[in-house]
Amino acid sequence: MKIKEIQFREDASRRIYLSYMKRIERMIKPLSKPDQTEVLLEFNSHIYEGLAHKHQKNEIVKLVDILDKLGNPEEVLKPLIADKKLEEATRTFNPIHLFKALALNISNGISYLIFGILYLSLFGFVFLIYAKFNNPDGVGLYTKNNSFMALGKLNDGYLQNPNISEVLGNWFIPVMLLSIILSYLLITLLLKLKRSINKK
Amino acid sequence: MNENFIAKWQSQVKKGTLTFIILNVLQNNEFYGYEFIEEVKKLTKIEIAEGTFYPLMNRLKKENLVTSKWVEQESGIPRKYFSLTDTGKETLGQMKAYWEDLSSSIKKIS
Repeated sequence: MKIKEIQFREDASRRIYLSYMKRIERMIKPLSKPDQTEVLLEFNSHIYEGLAHKHQKNEIVKLVDILDKLGNPEEVLKPLIADKKLEEATRTFNPIHLFKALALNISNGISYLIFGILYLSLFGFVFLIYAKFNNPDGVGLYTKNNSFMALGKLNDGYLQNPNISEVLGNWFIPVMLLSIILSYLLITLLLKLKRSINKK
Repeated sequence: MNENFIAKWQSQVKKGTLTFIILNVLQNNEFYGYEFIEEVKKLTKIEIAEGTFYPLMNRLKKENLVTSKWVEQESGIPRKYFSLTDTGKETLGQMKAYWEDLSSSIKKIS
């Protein structure tokens, strides 16, 4: 379905209208093309019907009144975009969609903070693989007196302490790879779980 | 009189019952967005924040309570008509029963 531009008598009205539609377009960029069209059609139709039904004579006053009531696209469209993005993310398992959904939903509360931390851990594991390549002897999983001490890089001073030992050796990179896969699956499954809880 | 407190409470009640109001208005008719908001205003004196209406309808659609269809107009600018699904009608029935219970309970204590 095509979006038909509303015709105005006054050029100023047209410019206000086009600028508002542009703001919507900018805001809904993260959505899929069909969803973008749907939102634009909805707002366009609402503005058109508003203009047709309002008794006020002055076109600009009518238009500004309608746009005021619709609100700032940057604010009112946020929940819609967050919802739609989450739908896409859980449908596709695509990490880019997942990341965007998380970013958009970060304001949805503490549960997303947990997702944020999980995602951060995931990227941490990726970084550790890179660090291990650069510094094979200084990066690892360290224990001190047989209890966990650190995962990552230790200063030389610590490395010379006989009570501190690295436990993974050549298994460090495979274990990190496995951690990445497990974190990713955990995040996706938790997102799906959260969505099904939200639905109830 | 604590007008501020009352205003806040009223706003919470409206927010909490908005879905119930929407489903009630849609039970016998289908409406397009602008017309729907005007109808609610006329029947209940409640002004739905227009920008939040479409995201809310999107949620109700996702819950399978409401369905929508685009209808072409002579103007070339189509209207999106909303109506209740069978699940929506069933859900509304349950909501009404709960509302009646709640209302009679409140009457007993007030």
